[in-house]
Parts: sequence; C-alpha cells; structure tokens
Amino acid sequence: MLLTVLVSPVPFYPTQASTLPPAQAQQDAITVRGTVRLQPGSGAPAEVSPGVTILEKGTANGTATDANGNFQLQVQPNAVLVVSMVGYITQDVNVAGRTAIDVTLDENISTLGEVVVTGYQTIDRKMFTGAATLLKGEDAKREGVTDVSRMLEGRVAGVSVQNVSGTFGAAPKIRVRGATSITGDNKPLWVVDGIILEDVVNVSNEQLSTGDPATLIGSSVAGLNPDDIASFQILKDASATAMYGARAMNGVVVITTKKGRIGKPQVSYTGNFSTYLKPTYSSFDIMNSADQMSVYSELERKGWLNHSDASRRQSGGVYTRMYDLINTYDPTTGTFGLENTPQARGAFLERYARANTDWFDELFKNSFMQEHSVSISSGTEKTQLYFSTSFLKDEGWTVADQVKRFTGNARANFNLSDKISLGLITQGSIRDQQAPGTIGRISDPVTGRYNRDFDINPFSYALNTSRTLTAYGADGNLEYFRRNFAPFNILNELENNTLDISVLDLKLQADVTYKILQNLNYNFSGALRYAKTNQEHKVRENANMALAYRAAGDATVEENNKFLYRDPDNPEAQPVVVLPYGGFYNTNDDNLTSYYLRNTLDWDNTYNDIHTVRLFASQELRYADRQNKGFTGYGYQYDKGGVPYIDPNIIKQGVEGNFNYYNMGMRYDRFLAYMANGAYSYKGKYNLNGTVRYDGSNLLGEARTARWLPTWNVSGSWNIDTEPFMQQQDIVNRLTLRATYGLTASMGNATNSSLVLQSGSTRRPYLSEVEAMIYIQNLENSELTWEKQYETNVGVDAGLFNERVQLSVDAYRRNAFDLIGLIRTSGIGGEALKVANYADMESHGLEASLTGAIVESKDWGLRSQMTFGYNKGKITNLSNNPDIFSLVVPEGGPKEGYSYRGLFSIPFAGLDPENGSPMFIDENGETSGEVDLQSDQTQHLIYEGPVDPIVTGGWFNSVRYRNFSLSGLVTYSAGNKIRLNPAFQNSYTDLNATPYDFLNRWILPGDEENTNIPSILDRLEEAELGGTYPYNSYNYSTARVVDGDFVRLKQVSLTYSLPANRVSALGLSNLSFSLVANNLWLIYADERLNGQDPEFFGSGGVAMPIPRQFTLSLKIGL
Amino acid sequence: MKKITLYTLLCCAVTLSGCEDYLAQPVDQRTQLNTVEKVSELLTTAYPQADYATFTEAMSDLALDKGLDAVVEDEKNENPYLFQEVPDRQQGSSDNYWSACYAAIAAANHALEAIQNAPNPNDYSAQRGEALVARAYAHFMLVTLFSKVYDPATAASDPGIPYVTTPERVVMGQYERKTVSYVYEQIEKDLIEGLPLITNSAYNSVKYHFNTAAAHAFATRFYLFKRDYQQVISHANQVFPGGNIGANLRPWVSVYGNLSFLEGEAIYTQATQNANLLLVEAPSNWARSYYRYRYSLAYPVANYLFFSENVTGAPWAYTVLSAGGENIFVPKFREHFVREDINAEIGIPYTIFPLFTAEEVLFNRAEAYLETGNNEAAREDLETFASARIENYDARTHSISNSKLRNFYGTSNPKEGLMAALLDFKAAEFVHEGMRWFDILRHGLTVVHPTIEGQTVESAPGDPRRVLQIPQEAKLAGIELNPR
Repeated sequence: MLLTVLVSPVPFYPTQASTLPPAQAQQDAITVRGTVRLQPGSGAPAEVSPGVTILEKGTANGTATDANGNFQLQVQPNAVLVVSMVGYITQDVNVAGRTAIDVTLDENISTLGEVVVTGYQTIDRKMFTGAATLLKGEDAKREGVTDVSRMLEGRVAGVSVQNVSGTFGAAPKIRVRGATSITGDNKPLWVVDGIILEDVVNVSNEQLSTGDPATLIGSSVAGLNPDDIASFQILKDASATAMYGARAMNGVVVITTKKGRIGKPQVSYTGNFSTYLKPTYSSFDIMNSADQMSVYSELERKGWLNHSDASRRQSGGVYTRMYDLINTYDPTTGTFGLENTPQARGAFLERYARANTDWFDELFKNSFMQEHSVSISSGTEKTQLYFSTSFLKDEGWTVADQVKRFTGNARANFNLSDKISLGLITQGSIRDQQAPGTIGRISDPVTGRYNRDFDINPFSYALNTSRTLTAYGADGNLEYFRRNFAPFNILNELENNTLDISVLDLKLQADVTYKILQNLNYNFSGALRYAKTNQEHKVRENANMALAYRAAGDATVEENNKFLYRDPDNPEAQPVVVLPYGGFYNTNDDNLTSYYLRNTLDWDNTYNDIHTVRLFASQELRYADRQNKGFTGYGYQYDKGGVPYIDPNIIKQGVEGNFNYYNMGMRYDRFLAYMANGAYSYKGKYNLNGTVRYDGSNLLGEARTARWLPTWNVSGSWNIDTEPFMQQQDIVNRLTLRATYGLTASMGNATNSSLVLQSGSTRRPYLSEVEAMIYIQNLENSELTWEKQYETNVGVDAGLFNERVQLSVDAYRRNAFDLIGLIRTSGIGGEALKVANYADMESHGLEASLTGAIVESKDWGLRSQMTFGYNKGKITNLSNNPDIFSLVVPEGGPKEGYSYRGLFSIPFAGLDPENGSPMFIDENGETSGEVDLQSDQTQHLIYEGPVDPIVTGGWFNSVRYRNFSLSGLVTYSAGNKIRLNPAFQNSYTDLNATPYDFLNRWILPGDEENTNIPSILDRLEEAELGGTYPYNSYNYSTARVVDGDFVRLKQVSLTYSLPANRVSALGLSNLSFSLVANNLWLIYADERLNGQDPEFFGSGGVAMPIPRQFTLSLKIGL
Repeated sequence: MKKITLYTLLCCAVTLSGCEDYLAQPVDQRTQLNTVEKVSELLTTAYPQADYATFTEAMSDLALDKGLDAVVEDEKNENPYLFQEVPDRQQGSSDNYWSACYAAIAAANHALEAIQNAPNPNDYSAQRGEALVARAYAHFMLVTLFSKVYDPATAASDPGIPYVTTPERVVMGQYERKTVSYVYEQIEKDLIEGLPLITNSAYNSVKYHFNTAAAHAFATRFYLFKRDYQQVISHANQVFPGGNIGANLRPWVSVYGNLSFLEGEAIYTQATQNANLLLVEAPSNWARSYYRYRYSLAYPVANYLFFSENVTGAPWAYTVLSAGGENIFVPKFREHFVREDINAEIGIPYTIFPLFTAEEVLFNRAEAYLETGNNEAAREDLETFASARIENYDARTHSISNSKLRNFYGTSNPKEGLMAALLDFKAAEFVHEGMRWFDILRHGLTVVHPTIEGQTVESAPGDPRRVLQIPQEAKLAGIELNPR
C-alpha cells in the first residue's frame, strides 16, 4: 500500500540541522541511532519510513529519518525524544542513556476527526464547532470512475449525488443538505487547495438533465486527476462554511491535493483498465420486431400507414420503405422496386418482422478504457515537491463517443526561512472528447413534448427505435429509412454528425506564509485560472441533418419541409432549398479567465494553558470573465477541401427569423469579501466561535445598496470527554456536542438592482422594416438583495472504544427567506411578472454517519461505514403562478406548499369507453380528454412527491485478510417520485418502438374496465381530437408515475497487495492489483420502471446513463 | 508590531477604496441609455405590443356566434362576446393588453428620464416628442377601454387609470386612478408638448413610430373622443400635405382587389402602403385565428356589409373569402411566426396591426364635420372614401344624396343619415381590426349577441361590463377595480 500524505494538522515543524548545537548541550551529549517504523492502521506489516521527525523535547534540536527509516541525533542522555509523523500517533521516548532506539509509530485512525481544513484555515478538531465531514482521498477513490465528484456518492451523510447523466464531463446533480434557492443554483461550491473553483459555464440544475452539449463542460472538477486528491472536506453548516460566505449557502466541498513528502523520491503508478457492459433489451420493456410488426399492422388497418400518403410522410420505417419501392419504376427493366401484390408485400415485411435488430449491439461496444497516472513525491525539510501526470483514454461505450484527458500537476512547497514559506501549484488538463452531434432541446408546452431535432443519441435511439428496422440491408450495405424527408441510417449519421469537444484548463497558484510573530501569521494566496473550451458540431454533407435541408423536388415535401425557405417578400412562391451543398460547421466556445487573491491574518495565543484565543481576518477578491461565443457555419463542404458554399437565402432566412448566425456574450463576475473570525476555548473544553462577513458582488446590478451584504454566525462546542466524570469510563473516548446558528446568503439569479436593458432586433416580417431595438428586460428593483437563510445546526461527534467506532449525528433546520421568485404585479410599472426577493422556503434534516473498525488484527480487518441523510423542504411562500406543463414534466416545478421541485400529475380518469383514449379530471372537476398544458389553473393537479430524494446514503464495507481486501459500496435513496418515459402519442409511425404494455392496450369497448393502457386511435378518431393531445397528457398523468426509491450496489472491489518481502525482491516498495466492478447491480427499484434508470433522465442529446463497468487496477510504488 | 499594524491598515484602506469601482463592473453586456441612438432604439418598444382586436372585435356587433362551423373555441374570444371577464392573461386577453400598454409607457418614461439626465437634452428633441406622444397614446387606449367613455358631464368624477410619468423602482409600486378628465388632461398635455417635436427623419422605420402623420391621426382620434371637433379637423388636415387624404386611401379597387389570398394578406400591413400611418408588431394569434374564432364575422353581418348594396347603391369592392362554412373574412393579416430556435416547431406568432390609417383620419374628419354642422364637407369625405371602394365609381350614380340616405336609413335628417352611413362605412372598412368597438363606445350603441344555444346577451350604454375589468393584481398597487 502506498502511504498517502494527509493534510498536515500543523505546519511541519522546522528542524534545525544545527552544525553548532548549543554549547552547553554538547558537553555530555550522546549520539542516539535508531530506526522508525510505521504501523498502518489497516494492520499491514510495519514499514520503515523516511521523513519521520525526531525532536529532543523542549529544544529545537531534531532530525528526520532517511530513506531507510534511520536517524541519528546528538542528545542529552536523559533527553526525551518526540517521534512524530503526520497521520501517526506521536510517541515520547525516554533516551535514558540508550544509544540505539527503535520506534514503531501507530497510525492514528482517528485522523478522520482530528483536523478540519476549511481551505483557509486548518483548525484543530477540538476547537472546530461546525458541521463538516472529512473523506480521505484513498478511501473515496473509486478506480475506473474518472470524475471525482461522483466519488462522494453514498460516502458523506447529507450529500446527495444524482447521476442524471453519466457522460464524461457532465456533472452529477450534487446537493448538500437539499436545495436553498427556488430559482437559483443549488450546487455546492468547490474549493481546490484553498481556491474557489469557478465553473466555466453555469449549468443550472434544470439544464443538467437536458442532454444539451453545454452539460459536458459543466463539471468544474472533470479536469482533476483522481490520484492527486488527498482529501475531500465537506462543509455543511453556517459555521463551517462561514469562510466562503455569500456563495456557500449550498455547502462547500474542499479538495486538498497531495503534497510532496520529505524523503527520497517516491514514484507511484496507477493503471486502470476498464471495460463496459453493453445494455441489453432483456432489461428494458421494448417490443421485439414480431410484436412490433403486429402493432404496425393495426396502424395500417387504422389508416396510419397508407400507401397513398407514404411519399408525404416526413419520417417512416419499413412500411414507408415498402411503398417507396413499390413506387419506384425502372424503365430499363420495366419493373417496380417491389411488386404491389399481397405476396410480395408480405415477403418484404416478413424480413423485417424477423429482423429483431439489437440496436444496443449495433451502437454500443464492450469498450476499453485505460487510465495511467504517475506521480513523484520528494522532499527535504526545506523543499517538498510533488509532480503527477495522467492520461485517460476512453474508447467510448457507444460507437459515437470517446474521450482523451491529460492532466499535469506540479506542486512545490518551500520553507525559505523560519518565517517565510512558499507554495506553488501548477495544474493543467487537456481534454479531447467526441459525442454524438446534437442541438439544444426545446420544450414544447403546446403539445407537451420536448423536441430535439436530429437527435441521434445512441441510447435514446436504441430505446425509441423500432426493432423492425435494420442497420444493414440484405446486401450487407447500410440500409436507409426516411427521416425529415431524407435518408437516414443511424450508423451513417453517427459517423457524419459529430460533436467534438476540447478543453484546455490551466491553473497557477501561489501561497506565501509569513510568520510575523511567534503567534501571528500572514498568508497570501493567489491564483490565475484560464480555461478554454470549444465545441465543434460537424454535420457532414452526407448526414441526414444536411440532407434534410435539401429534401425537395415534390410539392408536398416542399410544403411540409420546415427546413426550406419561404420568401416573405414573395407570398405565392414555393419554399426553396437554401443549403444546396455542404453541411454545417457550428462552433460554440466557452472561455473563462479568473483571478483569485486572498490575504489572511491569523493570531492565536494560549494564556496559562487555560484560555486559548484565536483571531482570524481575511480579505478576498474574485474576478471571473466568462465568454461564450457561437457560430453557425452554413454550407461547409467537408469533402471539397473545406470550402463553404453559402446560399445567401439561408442567412436571410435566419435574419428574418430573428436568428443570428453568430453570437458572442460576456459575463463579468466581481466579488470582494472581508471577514473576521474569533474563537475562544476554555481548557479545550468549551469552545466559542463567531464570524462576521461583509460580501460585495456586482452580480445584483449597479445599485450600490444591493451590492453589499453582512452575514454572521455563532457556534459553540463542548468537548464532554474532557470532563472529569467522563474519565471514569473507557467506552467513550471522545464526545463533542456542537451547535451553530447563523445567517448565510447567496446571490439569486436576478441582476436588476438597476434597470436592465437588452438589445435586439424587432420582430417584423420584412427586412426593410426591421430595426435595432433596445428593450427593458427588467425594471429596476431597488429592493433587490441577496437570498438569505438562517440555519440552526446541532451535532454530536463521538469516538468509542478508542476510536474503533465513530459516530457523528447532525440535525438542522433552515429558514430561507428573501428568495428570488416570480411574482405577478399590477403591471402598471411596466412589468407584469417580476423577479423579486419575497419567497420563503424551510427545510430540516438529519444526518448520521457511523464508522466502525469492527475487527482489527494482524491478519483480519473489517471496517464498515454507514451514512444516512434526511432532508425535507417546503416552499412556504411563492406566488409564481406556474402553468401545468412546468409542473408535470419529469424535472418537476416549484409551487407554494410543496417541495422545492415537486412532481405533479394530471389526474387520470380512465379510458374513454368509445375509443379507448385517455381521459382526465379537468380544472372544473369534469372528465375530459382535453388538457391545456399552458393553462395556469393548476389547483386540480395531483401532487406526487418531490423529484429529489428525501433520504440518501450509503453503506461501505471492507474486509481484509492478510494481503487481500474486499470492499463494497451500496448506495440508496428514497422518497422521490419519477415520471416514466413518455411512451404514448396521439398517433404512431412505423418508426416507433413501443413497450410491451401495449399488448394490454384498450382494443374493444369494455376493455376500459381492465386496462389503463390507451388504445391506438384510428385516423378519424385522431382527427376528432381537434388539436388536443390527450396521449401526451397521459404521459404526464397519475398513471405514469412511480416511486424513486432505489438501492444500488455501486461498487465491489477486490485487491491483492504483494507481501512486503516479495515486493522488495522486485525492487519496488509496493505492488497491488484490484478488480473493481462499478455500478454493478440495481438491487431494488420500483418494478414499474421496467429498466428505466431511476436516476437518469432519458433526454437524448449527449446524456447517457452510467454504464456497468469492470476495471483492473494496478498500483506500483517505487 | 505597531509598524506592521500600520502597514496592514494602510493596505486594507487601499484595497477598500478601489472596491466600489471594482464592483461597478456590469454583470453582462447590458446597455446604458447614453446616446440619442440608444434612446431611439428603446422607443421602438414604447408602443403597446399586444392586440386589442381579439376582445374588442368579439365585443362588437360585427361578431356573431358561428356555432358548429367554428374552428377555434377560445375563452379569449368567447368571454368578450358574452361580456364576461377573461381569466386568461395570455396574448389576446384584456389583461395582456393592459400590461403591454404599461410596458410601452415604462419604455417611454425611461427614455424621457434618460433625456432629462443627458448633458445635451436638446439633441434628443425628436425622441422626446416620440416618447411623449407614445405615452399619451398608450394611456388613451387604457382610459378608453378600462374607464367609462369620456363624457364631459361625468369625466371629472369617473375613475380613470393611473397616468404614469416616472419609472417604477420598487417591486410593488403604488398608484392612483384619479379621474377620466385628469387622464385626458395629461394625454392632451403630452400630446401638445410632444407633437411639434416629432421629426420623421429621426426614424429608421418611419411607419413603426409616431411619425408626424400618425401623431396627427392620433390627435384626431383623441379630440374626437374629447368632442373637440375643430381640433379634429385641424389635425386631420395636417396628416397629409395639403390635407389630401383621398389619394392615400387603400387602393382596393385598383390593387388589393386583384391580389391572391396570400398576397392580399401580406400587403395590408406593409409599411409601403400609404394608408398605413402607424404599425405595431404584437405577439398575437389574431392573424392565425381572426376568421376561425367561433365568435367573429358571419354571414348575417357580412351580407349587410359586403354582399349587398350600401347607401351609395353599389356593393363594396372588398375581397371576401371563405374558409368553409361561416368562416368568412377579408384578408388582412398574415402571421409572422418567430421560431424559438431556427429548427424549432414552436415559436411566437406575431401579427402586424395598423394602429392608425388614412381611412380613420378621413372618417374622423367627416365625423367632426358632422358634429360641427358641416354636412356637405362630411358628405364629400364619405364620397371620397366610396370612390376608392367601388368598382367603376361614378360620382353621378354613386353620390350619397339625401334621398339615398332617407331611403336607406329611413331618416330625413341628413346629419343622422350621414352619421349612420359613416358608421357603416367604418364597420366595413375596419372589419377584423377591432375598431368598431370604439365607435360603439363613443356613440353609445347597443350590442346584441345571440348564441347558438338560444341565449341573447345585450349590452346597452351604461352597462358596467362595457368597461373592461382591470387585472386583479392591480389591487396590490392600491387600485380599485371596476364595479361589476
């Protein structure tokens, strides 16, 4: 096992290699020699270690062990040696005249609770009064998982991690203690080595599940090498997050990266080799091709697949293809593509009925992912260095995606003198990623669907495309079906319609500590971060997306193809093609330049060993400029030397449609904060802590009054274990009671403390009449302020049986107020719907974590950790007046009296006995098939539950036997509701894949008694619906909601470490192999999900669920 | 130690002094109203971008219940017909129009404030003129629809609508309705101050702004309601050079009548048409639905207005089309569909509305002539109109003689007869444009709305339902709603 350097609780004590020891001491000094071994807590054999400090007690005389763990030191014969090493229990050794002393230090398993690193300060756990959880890097690390944010899953009580998309670069939805804002972000703040990590793009919670390309650059930690991480510290309550003030209302995740260790250079290598499992139809409820074909024959009977209108159909599958062939006449041979006889048609369809295409097999691969990481750590007392570099190459789970990531990290710490120490960090990462080409998703409240044109997401495609279609024809060539009036084959499309993403991210950081006085330290931290991201959406000329713009030649097609151009100046003209050659080259860049500066002063003193006082002041400045630019390149000819062919009409069409073919926008984030903190401790028993902050930001707009906000908090703790009465027992060795009360704040997403004007162009039909305009986006709101929250937290930490069992429990209550919400006004001021600080929300929760080293012996070890988090919130004041659609969508919506995002349903009222179409209870309490999803009459909707889980947690176990260890992580979440994927439509085509539920559909009157599955309407019945969409409403009804509870076996890992003697024989310091299975088994979930992932929103685009993954991990230390 | 403290304090002071500047950076690329051009661009939005036609047309006597022939059933169309409130706040509702008027007023007020604070306010005189007239127009439309129609006898006590002259800076601003006469005074004040400042050359797209012609046209409408008829005539004569309105009327006979459906739809709201004095683009379903709504033009009304001879002895030359059954219409509007995204299926439908036309100016002048006893001048105006609407117009056969008036309207009072003819001409000319309702208000006409179910809803002058209800939320601003 590699020993990982943990965060130092105190600065490394500078040892003086004095050439001239004090004269008096030299007189009868003796030389002591010895070896120091470190005994790991895991029970593995003790090993020698360099860098262990040996100090003569009460003097500055000391040394450190060399690479072989040996030391020698001249000391007084009666001296006491203090032998210490970070992470190990310090020992005092009486020399008593001996000259040879061997020492073995035990690992301090209670390190978990020893210090708290807030990113600004390192505080003795005994004096820390807030709610925070430490997770060591080596414990959290999950081999084969490339995004460090996913490592928190199930490991920290109160932190919920929902994998709404598993695609590389897409951030999971992380919540620390639930949501605090109704309209704003609820993402925790990430801090890396004391520096706040700015997001390159701000991807809101709602956007996370859209599958839009921006989500792939949404994870700010995707550029971190998991091997570099020393620890995560999750700060949860007002006291713990006080240092981060105004952006910390949603909790803070502090990442500390590894530092160089004193001693000879240590090289370690980690290699992960992973493969994925393809999804299979057996786990989903999708009809096979034979059943599907029988549904199609019903569609044919009901008039949906007529020969006569086949050529007019925008998209079509086997039937459309059959009619196309029948319509194809070859004058040279005098034959048709297919004879129009029942026999020929039957034979044609027969092939497809038997096709049973396995789209998962066509589109997914048991791919190979490799990840290599090398780090070198080295150091002396004066200089510590850490270098690492890593390379990740993921061949992709599907045929359309792949990722390469390089990271580099150099960190140096210098103790320049007794007074000055200096740290430098350079971190960089490069990413090259490929994903299926996609465009943004549009929600359509008219019909109640989400629309994404040209979606070729392989997972969505496999689930939603009929298995009667074939990827290859009988002749072995790609077989094309019709989509958007143009030929379409998914394999061809994935090759010709791609999204290339590149990310370059560089951070330079410097820290200086100057010891002004013995107990007064000044610290400066500064960082510069520069990130450039680029998305290139390449639509080659053979892609369906380009061909759709060229589908014409037939008056009906021209009339119906929305990608053609109709000239408004010539009302009678037929629409014309405006992309005659080439495809698209669309780019989208998001860039970030950010600076961060911080000055702190830290003073502490202890009087008479009784009163400890610590004062801390800090000033910080943040600066971030974000640039977004996009460009739509029309007519780029990929196979003609990259020369664009631009039809001026395509530009005209765009301009007339108020669509600009390029755009560039800047967003400027400026932030200043001043903070003072005081802590007092009486004999280490009673601790009091208080913070005041003054934050200023430009995000609220120009008004000076809105810009600044003071916040404060007070907290206290009582270390009960230090009381005399606790000394009489030896069960509880540590017991601390904590309490916090304070005000935290966050900036909402309103920026109108002064008038917000935006420019645009008027929406008029003729270019000669269009003019530039400026419009009032928001009126001034002089009352605009920050979103705020009072939080009360009470917690208990306990260590039992000499830290063998550790328990931490926290309960909290939060009252959020001044939240930004929409409010309807008189309109007389000019803005009928305003955003204002008026909404309130309250939440409460409970968190517990229990860790036990149940068995600890030389051969056996058993450790277990359970985490549990409960969070329930309610919006207590909000008059946002939502429409039905915004409440019934899978992501839910906010409404007063319900959870932050509640899932609502249209009450299903059975099937119409006449035609089997679904009916609902409308707002008047009447049964009807018609629901206006844009209506704001929402009082009749049924509240199903929150979309975010109320209970989350995990259970981690590890068993060690000699050199083998086996660990497993189970995660669970409960209390939320999930909307089933939308499977029903007013009408279907020969492309749709339908679930097996359809076998139970309504067929004849009377069936409504036994089934809730609506019928397939015939064409006349559908026409009679008259522009209403009851089947889409059915997707949003009570009939299509299931429980979100699930239990998942997230990871199983088996590790074998070679015994020390074998390893050293190989010339190595350690060598281990692990076999890891990730995301292995969904142990429990609602049966009605039928394979739908309870965390994943199947939104298409670039969103992909998390695959089942197997990893072989190799670790070598030199 | 002391020195260190001193230095530290000094450092802090330096960093603090730069704070306000540092935080003064705008969060995004929002613009400031600091140039003439930008104030001009803001005034592009000083016009109510909403349609009133959806409810005023349905409330008027041009609408009938088409029953089963109707394609679109919508409470925004049905409730006004039944003189009921529309709970909906979307485009086409009276609440929507209320908000749009005040949004336009806010744009005008912000422009005026920017001009006032500008170092060189004189450079902004054209913009100031536009802002004042636009503000007056929006308030005029509000007071006409949401207060009792102007009556010199009661205007000083009838509740008006809030006349807003300063930008709102708080979430829930408080306002007063005051009285109709107060609102009229304010409108007149803004109009008189603004009109002379208007400069057509200040506009890029003249027809979408209060150009001088449009401003005078607005003055004719305002003074007509205020019953200041000399002003109506005076302003009407200033709309076109030499007071020649006739040459600028829509060429129905020579051009419009010969166009195809799509061309006809398009041309009616084009800026190139001389008759269009002021246009506005508004998010609205009107172009899509004006002939498909259940309560709209139907044969009984169309037979009288279009398919039979009018008082001149000839029928009008309007193109009247049918979309099946009772769905008949004069092609006037074409939808401008602005997609949410270049590839989207959904978007916002826009309709271009002519707010002032040459025809209205002609009718307003004619009405003012009648009210001031100048029957012959009024007759001449009406005959000018008829000459542009009748195929092969012949002044000898198609003149509006007193005998024709007597025969057609059964009155021997030429003023009454001419007024009846004027209102009929207007009804035909402005069908689908929502203008009829304003004549009904001003002339106190009774509206009778039968329904296919056999009900009859009648609204006579004095009916409180003729005064549209103010949005419920106005109570939050200290505004009393209209009585019901």
